Order: sequence, then structure tokens, then C-alpha cells
Amino acid sequence: MDAVLLNNVHKSFGEVLAVNNLSVRVPTGSIYGFLGPNGAGKTTTLRMIMNIIHPDTGRIQIFGDSSVDKAKARIGYMPEERGLYRKMTVTKVLAYFGALKGLAGNELSRQVSRWLDRVDLTNWAPKKVEELSRGMHQKLQFAVTAINGPELLILDEPFAGLDPINTDLLKAIMIEMRDEGKTVIFSTHVMHEAEKVCDSILLINKGRAVLDDNLAHIQSQRASNVVSVELEGDTGFIEKLPIVTAIKSNGHRLEISLVDNADTQELVKSLVSRVRVKRFEVKVPSLHEIFVELVGKGDAEDS
Amino acid sequence: MQKILRVAQREYMETVKTKTFILGILMVPFIIGAIIFFTGRMARGKTGPQPTVKVAVADLSNALADEVKESFDSYNKDNPQRQINVNMLETQEDSDKADNQGRNKLRQGQVDVYVVLDNEILEVEGSGKIRLYTYKPKASNIDILWTIEDRFRKAVVNHRYKTQKIPEEFLTKLSEIRRVPVERLEMGSSDDKDRVQSDIDRALKMMVPFFFMYLIFMGIVGTGQHMISSVIEEKTSRVIEVLLSAVSPFQLMAGKILGLGGIGLTVVGLWAVAACITARWQGLDIDVTTEFVLYFVIYYILGFLLITSLLTAVGSICNTIKETQGMMMPIMMVFIIPLLAWFKVVRDPNGLMSRVFSFLPPLTPMVMILRLSSGSDILKVEIFASIVLLALTVLAAMWAAAKVFRTGILMYGKRLGLREIWLCLRQS
Repeated sequence: MDAVLLNNVHKSFGEVLAVNNLSVRVPTGSIYGFLGPNGAGKTTTLRMIMNIIHPDTGRIQIFGDSSVDKAKARIGYMPEERGLYRKMTVTKVLAYFGALKGLAGNELSRQVSRWLDRVDLTNWAPKKVEELSRGMHQKLQFAVTAINGPELLILDEPFAGLDPINTDLLKAIMIEMRDEGKTVIFSTHVMHEAEKVCDSILLINKGRAVLDDNLAHIQSQRASNVVSVELEGDTGFIEKLPIVTAIKSNGHRLEISLVDNADTQELVKSLVSRVRVKRFEVKVPSLHEIFVELVGKGDAEDS
Repeated sequence: MQKILRVAQREYMETVKTKTFILGILMVPFIIGAIIFFTGRMARGKTGPQPTVKVAVADLSNALADEVKESFDSYNKDNPQRQINVNMLETQEDSDKADNQGRNKLRQGQVDVYVVLDNEILEVEGSGKIRLYTYKPKASNIDILWTIEDRFRKAVVNHRYKTQKIPEEFLTKLSEIRRVPVERLEMGSSDDKDRVQSDIDRALKMMVPFFFMYLIFMGIVGTGQHMISSVIEEKTSRVIEVLLSAVSPFQLMAGKILGLGGIGLTVVGLWAVAACITARWQGLDIDVTTEFVLYFVIYYILGFLLITSLLTAVGSICNTIKETQGMMMPIMMVFIIPLLAWFKVVRDPNGLMSRVFSFLPPLTPMVMILRLSSGSDILKVEIFASIVLLALTVLAAMWAAAKVFRTGILMYGKRLGLREIWLCLRQS
């Protein structure tokens, strides 16, 4: 069953068309990244999924049901605008939201201490929220979102303001939850973050889906015939190989362009026989490149 | 329902802990206690020593010196805490000079009061006057002017008695004849429980309806403030979206209203208990029937629901406390009307004004409590009708507030205008 299904969703604010005919299918047990530049309509889409704002037209289903309110207890939502009660202590905030999300009694206190431990805030438990640093605040916000072990996690820009260590912590938890069969949807405009965790991505620009696919598929489709190598020895012969069309030196690396449908294994063989190969990589276009290519093109079409 | 209770519980616990709440709850009984205490003390005349009041007198009749001295000596003997020092100016030779002297002394602040006794003052039914001059009078001296005036009048009257040759025995007799003691009694439930009433008792009796109304006013308006700040806090700290992912806007609003309703009842309950204790301590007995308490609670809750619904809506469409103040003004003005009109309502609880006010929903709770505690019979039908009307208004207000709340709460940066509010209401 699909965790989330959007069908021809439209939303405009006055003159501005925020989301334009968007359809997307998020299968359960996957990490789905909603990517796009600022103002692309990511937050609006997530808010519509959460039924905080209503779409003008179109249909949204969660767990196969069109009422989000019924599913609310099964969803954890972290909005883009972070906020918690500043005067309450860390433990109390966590317990309050846990209770609002249906936890009670022993289970509630167990989950509170488990999540405090998981996001590394146990030492800060008796402190007031206003005393936390921004990164800690963010982690607490995540714990609040996930405390009841929701089947669907919707995170709006979850890594904004986090240092690399905490970013990795959050990614690890997201992957762990995915492995438990839960679904995670998150939005970001930082592409390399998505690259490492996403199973699938939806690329939005100006409210319109530009790309919606499995990440592995996208990358294999767009795999170029460029190989990046680091070699020791005389490399002059490479240019003369029949499958090589061009060669470009990039520091101590070489970028070798091959003819279409060339077998990279053949290149490896030729290289190994003549020089020492320290590194060999078939270049896969980064999401960043795909993003710039598609969005840049889209913009060009518009103007 | 569980979620509503959860929200209510947090709202209650977090509000109870705030400093404004604790101060607020302590200040009001403290102030009321202090007022009762000091009124009591003042009425018993126990004040500390005050500076001597200096009076210059130009006696143009040149005949009253003895009587004036006698009159003020007897006053000074009885009032050691506040003496009056009378200085007779020399008027025998040049009365104009004396007058100038008196005026200058007053202007220069050497004396507090300058008094001129006309020559003709000795004649009965003459045109003579006692003229009392003050120059930039101090507020603390205003009350003593009555005493000074009275003492001079006494001096003149005594002199007139003498010139009219009225025998002293007759005067003594007359004052004895004129003395008729009055005792004000309040009948108790049995004959041995009758109580003597003092003047303060009477004044306080008059104040009881006002007190109950004020209790409602403070409860409603005070907790309304908490509501506003609670909504604004959730909005500015952006916690609202997280909340809305777990509860519906209606649950959130209902929980808030419930929690602050609890706050309101706590506050009013504590104040009422404090008032009862003070009343006992001061020996006043205010009888409150169970029926009245029941009505009080009903009107209080309905009034509270009405204003908090309005204020949640106001809070949700504003971004800062400052913005709310402009919108609070008209709402507060309405609630001040009964505070201004209370005397008229208490005096005439079944008059036209009282009745009309009873059926204007925002005024209903305060006005009805005034009328009910004023001691006259109010038609049961009227009570019932006012409650029904108020309850219907509350439902309408809550419905409208929920609509505005739902939209307003997620609007950051700009405040909703009247047109947008209207659109919210029309949206189903």
C-alpha cells in the first residue's frame, strides 16, 4: 500500500501558483526526498499532506484514506518553522507531545528516556528548552516528531542548522526507521544530503514535478561514459586507446571520456597491464548536477 | 477528548507557574484586604499625628476673640493628633492693614487659612459672613477646612446666644433634649443573634453586589489576558504547527479554553475564600445562598467562554502582544460598562436599564450577578432566558472563533483584515 498518494494537486495563494498539478506516490518502507530550490512548493506540499492547508483541487490520500485526521497518530511531522515551548523542560516537552500523540503511562516515560538517549540529550533533560543550542533544539524537535514511532515521518528541511555529526545521527535514525518498514518523506534543497539517504526523489521546481523516480534508476540512466582514474606511471598511451575519445587532467586525477557503449572493464584491463591503478571510478552524475541541469533547463524554457 | 484534556492540563500547569499569575492572584486579595483594613482604621479615627494647621483671623467685629479662642481650645483638647493654631490679627486700629497682613501671610505660606469675620456677623439675620481664604490648598488640608469652618460658626453662634441673652441652663437643656440615640440593628436568625451595625457595615453591604461583579470581571478579563499571551506564545515560538500535527485546531482551542477556565475558577475560588475569611475577621456577615453560588458559577463559565473565544480569535490573527492591544480595546470597553453602571443597577435591579443590559450577552454575566446579589427578587423566567441567550451567543462565538483560529494561527507576518476574517467565517 502507498503511504502517501497525491493526485493532480493544485494550490495557489492569491496570484502565486504554489503547487501545480502535482502527482506523486510514496510507497511504504522507503525514504523519499522532496528536492527543489527555495520557493519550489516543498513546504506547501508537505503542509497539504498534513492537512494544515487544503489543496484547491486534487486528491491526497494517506495510508489509502483521504482523512489525515484519522491517521494523525500514525504520522510524525516536523515543520520547517521549528518551535517548542521555551519555558518547559526538555523532558516535559517530550512527554507532552508524546501524550498528545497517544502514548501513556509506562510506555510514555520509557519512550521519553529512550529518545533522549537516542538524540544524545539525556544530560539536558532537566534544562529548559530556551537554554538549548540551535542544534540541540533541532534534535529535540526530531525526537518530538518521532517519539510515538510513527509509521510515516514527514520532515521539512530536517538537516538545516545541524553540524555533520548530528546530520549523520539523524540520517542513521531515518535509515533505521526505514529498515523497520516505516516511511520517511523529507524535503531539502541541499542535494548531497538527499543523495546519501534517499531511495527515491521528487524534484520540484515552481510547483511542478520535474523528476520523480527511484534514485538508483535515475543515476543509472544518467550514468555518463566518463571514468575518473588515479594512476602511477606513464599515461601517454591512454589517449591512443580506441575506446577513448578525450582525456582531461584534473589535479592528479585523469578524467577519461569513452566512446558510447564502451565497456569500462576493457579500459581497466588496458590500464592495469601498463600502469599502477590507485583509483578507478565510473562517474555517476551527482544529484546536484542533475538538479542544475533540469532546473536550469526548466527556467530557460519558462523565460 | 483525551487530547483536549491533555492540552487543558498543560495550559493549566504552565499558567499556574508563571510569575504574572502568582502575582495577580496574590495582589487582588491583598489590595482588597488592605482597603477594608484601612477603611476600618480610618473610620475609627486612629490616624497618626499630622502637622499643625495655622489660621490667621481678621475679626472685623472686634468682639469674637474670646469665643474663637474657647472654640478652638476645646477642639485642640479633643484632637491631640491634629492641632489648629489660631492667630488673631490686630484689627482695632486699622482693619485694612490687618486684612493686607492676613492676605500676605497666606500667600507667603506662613498660614494655611486666612479667615475674615465680617463686622455684621454678630447680627442675627444680617448680611455678615465668615470668609475662608485658602491659597493653593494642599489636598491633605481639605478635610480640616470643614472643622475650621464649623468651629468659627460655633464661636459666632455662642456669641449670638450671649447677645440674645439666652440662659446657659436653657442651652444645656436644649442640647440634652435634642440628643436622641439611634442604634442600627440587623436581625439575626434567632433573637439573641441580632447584631449592631456600624456605618462601615452599611457601606460594605452596598459593596457586596459590586464585589461579586468585580470578581466576575477580574476572573474573565484576567484569564482572557492569559489566553491571549498563550496563543501568541505558541504562534511566535512556531510551536503551533507541531501541535497541529498531533491535534486538530478545534481540540487545541477547546483544550486551551478548558485549561484557562480551570485557571479562572481557581482564581475566583481563591479570591472568594479570601474575601469570606476577611469578612469573618472583620465581623461582617455576608450570606450567600447555594442558589446564588450556582448562578454565579453558570454566569461566570458562560461569560468566560464568551470572552475567551473572542480572545483566541484575536490572538490567532495577531503576531505580537502589541498588535493584540489595539483589538482588545473595544472588547474591554464593553466589559467596563457594568463597572460604570453598577450603582444604578444595584439601586434599581428591575429597572429598564438593568433589564436591557441583562440581555446584551457580553454584559449579561456581570449585570445579572449584580442584580441577583442586590437582594431583590428577579423573575426566574428572566434568569433562565438570559442564560439561554448567553449560551447561544457562546456557541455562535465559539463556532466563529474556531473558524478564524484555524486560519489565523498559521498566518505569520501579516494580520488578517476584516475581509479575510469574513472569508474565514464563510468557508465551510
